[in-house]
Amino acid sequence: MTDRTLVLAVLAVPIFSAALVGLMTSARAADRLNLVTSVLTAALASTLAAIALLAAPGEAATGSWYLVDASCGVFLALVAVIGLASALVSPAYLRHAGRGWLSARRSHASYYAAFNLFWAALLALPLVANLALAWVLIEATTAASALLVAFSGKRSALEAGWKYLVLTTLGLAIALLGIVILFVAAGGTGGGLARLDWSALAAAADTLPAQTTLVAFVLIMVGLASKIGWAPVHNWLPDAHSEAPPPISAMLSAALLPTVLLIAWRTKLALEPALGGAAVKELFVGFGLLSLAIAIPFLWRPLPWKRLLAYSSLEHMGILALGIGFGTPLAIAGVVLHVAGHGIAKALGFYAAIPLLRQDPAAAESPPRGVARSNGSTAAAMGISLMSLAGLPPSPLFVSELMILLGGMQAGLLAVSALAAVLLALGFIGLAHALIEGLLGESAGRGRHPTPRSARAVSLLAGAAAAALLALTVAAYALPDSGIVAALTGGSP
Amino acid sequence: MSTATIVVLVGLGFGVMLVRRRSFAIWLLTAQSLLLGVAALTLAEPGSGMVVAGVILIVRAVALPGLLVLTRRRTPEPGPVTPATTVVVRLLVAAAVSLAAVASVPSLGLGDAAAEHGSIALLCLGIAIVIMRRPALLQLLGILVAENGVYLLAASIQAGLPFAIELGVVFDLALVITVAAAFAAKIHAEVGSGDTDLLKALRD
Repeated sequence: MTDRTLVLAVLAVPIFSAALVGLMTSARAADRLNLVTSVLTAALASTLAAIALLAAPGEAATGSWYLVDASCGVFLALVAVIGLASALVSPAYLRHAGRGWLSARRSHASYYAAFNLFWAALLALPLVANLALAWVLIEATTAASALLVAFSGKRSALEAGWKYLVLTTLGLAIALLGIVILFVAAGGTGGGLARLDWSALAAAADTLPAQTTLVAFVLIMVGLASKIGWAPVHNWLPDAHSEAPPPISAMLSAALLPTVLLIAWRTKLALEPALGGAAVKELFVGFGLLSLAIAIPFLWRPLPWKRLLAYSSLEHMGILALGIGFGTPLAIAGVVLHVAGHGIAKALGFYAAIPLLRQDPAAAESPPRGVARSNGSTAAAMGISLMSLAGLPPSPLFVSELMILLGGMQAGLLAVSALAAVLLALGFIGLAHALIEGLLGESAGRGRHPTPRSARAVSLLAGAAAAALLALTVAAYALPDSGIVAALTGGSP
Repeated sequence: MSTATIVVLVGLGFGVMLVRRRSFAIWLLTAQSLLLGVAALTLAEPGSGMVVAGVILIVRAVALPGLLVLTRRRTPEPGPVTPATTVVVRLLVAAAVSLAAVASVPSLGLGDAAAEHGSIALLCLGIAIVIMRRPALLQLLGILVAENGVYLLAASIQAGLPFAIELGVVFDLALVITVAAAFAAKIHAEVGSGDTDLLKALRD
């Protein structure tokens, strides 16, 4: 199978799956068909990711619209794993989800149809070689995922879905203006739409007018920031993450935010030669520090479980922005590790919400307390997730945060690194408190249902996630000298 | 594009910010979108991609408001939603936001300074409409005003038009606005009004 065939297959399978599963009238048939096609999608995407990661450093398979390089491999693997895990736990969520926005008979089919379209767009994002195509795909993720955010049909879910739809669409309109300006500015290079290829933009660095390119870059970044969830344009993030079905919250936080971040990152790499490093670095560092500073106070507050995880996403997207802004090989190695570690830990946290909310529905509105006393397996999953997200050793996020901070010092940004270290320490304290209260504190004494069946599935996922997180910690030692980091620091576009 | 056309386009954007009735706001948006399409067509050289793009803009100018009119009919309001602010405040805010944005963005050197300013002003007006107007349908119109700002720049600068129109229109039309219209109808069914202020349960 050629690279091109594999790329097309990775995208075609979830799209066909969406069409097929949408026709299912039986919930059980929809569950089964989605499981089969999800395994196939994940297998194809993982194969493509492995090919990308095992290629010689600097080598990339390219087509007229796609680019399969090392960074694509990292993000594709992440989206494949998170998508498959979300598909696996979705039946457990849907079993008790009620009728939702649509009729009970159609709710499974509609959910899976939107899920697969969302997943297809997410899988395509790391592959695209062109900024305009990337914009189209990001916009496509909005339509499918907004419906999923509001899937429950509750008033609060409608509010979250509406806010997400409106704010991210407005943000993307700003980004589109930046893309139009960049397209016109790059006019001298000819080539129609291809002038917005990452490689074409990097090659045209000498001919791009600096001021116009800077305005375009800022508009594109501000627009993408609204989708990544960087402060101050993050307002939709806590609501959408907390109101969406847990498998979708995992997709939003662990797959959507990082893949849009990759587009911002690729844009940075492509335009940095034209803009000079300073302006680009300042923008990323600014987003990073602001996101951290805004997230930390919320991590100190007693919040419902999913809302706590949502603010943690804001914190972690801030850390990633800092790492990309620092741009040294060590910081970039930290970013790669952080993307993978955060994705696994955060997804596990959201999956744990399925048995948690089934057993204690009030936990949707108030912080969980004493979960370990009533449901050990769910508590274990929550504990693994939160300890990793807090950066408690041996979490890979401890190593990645250390790498990013040291990378910042290497870049000569000592004050920024010190400030970030203080904010991260404060965030750690907030999450550690939530961990202790949520798992080991006095039970909230609310009426609880028996341990749900979904707890067993989540405990299996927790075991797999713990093993994967430890493997990432070990892999961290080899990462700074790897071809992946070389590619992401400009070794290839 | 002539300065007069750009002034009228921005003026229609102000209109969407100021009027109370959803139906009137939809007509203003339709007029703005049609004017943009016609202006793009008049700038096009026969047989060029600009002609196709201009036609697509005109189709968009008819189709999207059509969808919004249908949504408005499906979501009848007992009376216009009371605005959170007076018309004078909205006018002042819209003017201040637009002027500040135009003043703060440096010249892009793309060959049409008036179009650059008009584009930025419409984009900011759209954002201001979303923030200041409460009915879901008017917030949708704000998004479309902002996108018209993008198309204004693309239409004025020939090299920028075809791809931007194709991208924006296809996705507006087929996906986001359709989904948003469905949301607006669902919100109305849930709370009995399109007033998004009634949806403010999510706070920290």
